[in-house]
Amino acid sequence: MIAKKVLLVGNFGVGKTSLIRRFVTNEFSEDYISTIGVRISKKEVQYNEQIVKLLIWDVAGTSGNEKIPKAYFLGANAAMYVFDLSREETYIALEENLKMVKELSGLQNITLIGNKKDLLTSEELIAVKNKITVPIDLITSAKDDENVEDAFTLLTAESLK
Amino acid sequence: MKNTTVDNNKDNRFELLRELLLAEDREKFNSLSQEIILREKLAKRVSPLVDEKIEDLRENFPVYFGDTITETIKVQIRDSQDEVVEALYPIMGKLVKKAIVSEITKLSDSINKTIKEKFSVQEIIKRFFKGKKNDADVVLQEVFEPIIEEVFIIEKDSGLLSGSYSRGNIADKDMVSGMLTAIKSFAEDAFSKEGQDLEDIKFETFQISLKNFKTIYIAIATSGVLNSGFKDELSDHINNIAEIILRDRSYLAEEEKLNDLIKRHLIQEKSR
Repeated sequence: MIAKKVLLVGNFGVGKTSLIRRFVTNEFSEDYISTIGVRISKKEVQYNEQIVKLLIWDVAGTSGNEKIPKAYFLGANAAMYVFDLSREETYIALEENLKMVKELSGLQNITLIGNKKDLLTSEELIAVKNKITVPIDLITSAKDDENVEDAFTLLTAESLK
Repeated sequence: MKNTTVDNNKDNRFELLRELLLAEDREKFNSLSQEIILREKLAKRVSPLVDEKIEDLRENFPVYFGDTITETIKVQIRDSQDEVVEALYPIMGKLVKKAIVSEITKLSDSINKTIKEKFSVQEIIKRFFKGKKNDADVVLQEVFEPIIEEVFIIEKDSGLLSGSYSRGNIADKDMVSGMLTAIKSFAEDAFSKEGQDLEDIKFETFQISLKNFKTIYIAIATSGVLNSGFKDELSDHINNIAEIILRDRSYLAEEEKLNDLIKRHLIQEKSR
């Protein structure tokens, strides 16, 4: 079985932990759990007839001046950057943050996910998409279990490249 | 006859007088008497109920008053800490002393047994030819025998587990490897100023030694007393196994093969 280290990064409160919870245990907790530093989860997924063991490193807020050990990013096979569609401050500096994650991890591509779709109307969603200049890979809702599985499938595919 | 009549009249008058004088007392007497009868009747009816209630209280005292008493004791302890400490100190002291004496006795028995076994003429001659360990080490190693509990060979950057050995049951090894790597990274980042590596994590009864190599690190959890002889020997074995792995990287991709290597070079070698 192949094992891959994948990262989940993004500001505090964008729903990284909720996405993982939805993906790993297939349930969503209404409790707000802020991660401290890093939290590691494991999930075995089947991709193209092979089983991949994903070690998901849920890294706490990466923007601003938070001090996170750079070593958390080392040796990652793929990374997912999550932002909150309902909070502009989580996507205002996307380009800069994606560049930083690329530099720290040495990865060429970062999967970009806009989460909390459930909090926006379709008009609001269009407006947010127009504001963001970087291509978004997937729009998700951990609360409604929308596109969560697909997001991790994208991440798995990226980790195998 | 006349006298009789007179007497009768006299008696009647007395009777009448007594009636007049004692009527009030008699009423009081009757009322008191009624009250006593009523009380007796009531007592007969209430008594079983009271007995029942007392029995219920006796049986369910903790349920009814447990919380109140606990709260009261808490308040008492909080408000009179010095008095409580003074009252408990001698009792605690005795208990602690008793426990220590018991443990020391066990330890002393164990040391005596080991000394008897290890200092026989045969053992001394055997040790003389083997060299190395001093007498204290021999006794300590025997009493607090060091045991390898877990071995993890982990990719340094990713924290992915390449191979492992476990004496007992441990939680998900992949997650442990990841978290251990994260803790190591955190500690190195937070405390190290010259790019040094974390080498030991110590608990009360066991410790985790981390041996760092270029692309991997080996984490070994051991229990017991680790004397210098054991550490040197373990270090030699770890270096040997690392050399084998780093010369033939296929070990890192084949978990079973690596697990066998760990068993052969670390566990079986150590138990010889």
